[in-house]
Amino acid sequence: MDEMKQRNRIGVRDDIFTTPFYPSEKVRLKGSKCRVCGEVFLGKHLSCGNCANENMEEIILGKRGKLWTYTIIRNRPPGDYKGPDPFVPFAEGLIELPEGIRLLSPLTDCDVENLKIGTEWQLLVDILYVDDGGNEVMSFKFKPV
Amino acid sequence: MKEIAIIGVGIHKFGRFGDKPYTEIGREAARIALKDADIAWRDIQAAYVAEMYLPATSGARILAPLGRTGIPICDVEAACASGGVALRQAIIGIQSGAFDNALVLGVEKMTRGFMDPSMLYEKWQILMGLSTNPSYWAMKARRHMEEYGTTDLQIAKVAYKNHKNSVHNPYAMYQKEFTIEEILKSPMVCDPIHLLEICAPNEGAAAVVLCTKEKARQYTNKPIMVSSCVHTIAQYSADFRVPNESLSTKIDNPGPTEVAGKKAFAEAGIGPEDIDIAEVQDTDAFCEIEVYEQLGFCQPGEGGRLVDDGVTEIGGRIPVNVSGGLICKGEPVGASHLGQIFEIVLQLRGEAGARQVANCKVGLAHVIGAGGNCAVTILRK
Repeated sequence: MDEMKQRNRIGVRDDIFTTPFYPSEKVRLKGSKCRVCGEVFLGKHLSCGNCANENMEEIILGKRGKLWTYTIIRNRPPGDYKGPDPFVPFAEGLIELPEGIRLLSPLTDCDVENLKIGTEWQLLVDILYVDDGGNEVMSFKFKPV
Repeated sequence: MKEIAIIGVGIHKFGRFGDKPYTEIGREAARIALKDADIAWRDIQAAYVAEMYLPATSGARILAPLGRTGIPICDVEAACASGGVALRQAIIGIQSGAFDNALVLGVEKMTRGFMDPSMLYEKWQILMGLSTNPSYWAMKARRHMEEYGTTDLQIAKVAYKNHKNSVHNPYAMYQKEFTIEEILKSPMVCDPIHLLEICAPNEGAAAVVLCTKEKARQYTNKPIMVSSCVHTIAQYSADFRVPNESLSTKIDNPGPTEVAGKKAFAEAGIGPEDIDIAEVQDTDAFCEIEVYEQLGFCQPGEGGRLVDDGVTEIGGRIPVNVSGGLICKGEPVGASHLGQIFEIVLQLRGEAGARQVANCKVGLAHVIGAGGNCAVTILRK
């Protein structure tokens, strides 16, 4: 592999991805788990939202889960959305992961008109956009298994 | 605890008013409320101003031109519940003895379309496209349909009812009836929620004047009593709402509407069966169905049937959103709860004209929004 040709990659949020970002297929989502009550959160949390204790450990979240609910975004989201331009309607939904968390995520590689609750989805980490510094900004989606 | 009375109310129509500044919009509602209460501005001892999208010290900029009397004027923000929180702060202040009366004003001037997402979301959520407010309502609706069999038609019926009611409300932005077919054929915003089932952010103001029960008769022969006014923020994983990034699969805390509703009923010493009229958050038509269940107007999962049975229509057992609700009035966020209070006060006084509900003695107002901020106010004759 020619390292010189690889662009620098950063996370859209800096506490939710394992590194390195190459190859992207191996990148996983990171979470925090409360050592007291067992609740799980996306990214780094110093305190538990459930029991308010400050006894958290870092965990790696599962890469497969079930669709719990969904909707279809029919208009370009407001603000600095980095998805396709011109806008393409897309689905988003809550994916229920084995760790006991339902995670809000964009859904991809699917027919948005035929989504079903309970279906199996898997993590996809890829490039959302290239920032002004030339960094590839990585985000997550879920795609059908 | 001191009992609190509403002695005057005022409103500035909800809608869009071009270059008219928020200061004028707010001041008009305040002047009407003061006149309705027959109280002079110089006799008002404190003011609370609810707003979300306005500049610094908006309250003072709106009210100081009425006369620089030196009273404390506090701006209050709690997203869609801002008006309820401002009202509650004024009530707490009067009950504490810090002052005997207060003006509470809600005012907003917002741009057309989706709200500025940076007010509600983290940057990464915006970049990824997770910043469409109605998508959160839509995902709750989809889940409710999955769990309880709630239908597109039942959701559309709520919008049909509220549009039909709005025809008689001169303060609503939209005052037009639509057929069920027109509602279901309106553009999809976020499946399963259609354009005619959703509220628009807009402009407007509403105001109330409060004082102790003892002093109320000095000003009016038609005081409306505040039975309770509650504010809560959703507990952990109790509610999926802007700007949540996840939910727990294990923790199932009661939602903020349920928590605030129960507390408001307990403080008022009544139950949901005692409510004669309610104005509730209908930022989308499904939300109203969910609120029926969470306030205890019916059992969980039965909200759709309540609509089918016409229970919440004018003439039904609990008319809901006879003003047309936010779907028709629009949602000037800071003003929305006080607009609900305005409507309930008119109804309890018997001054609601063509949309008057018969034998109206107890009314409830409810708002819920970003961060799980929820306010419930119960008023009585």
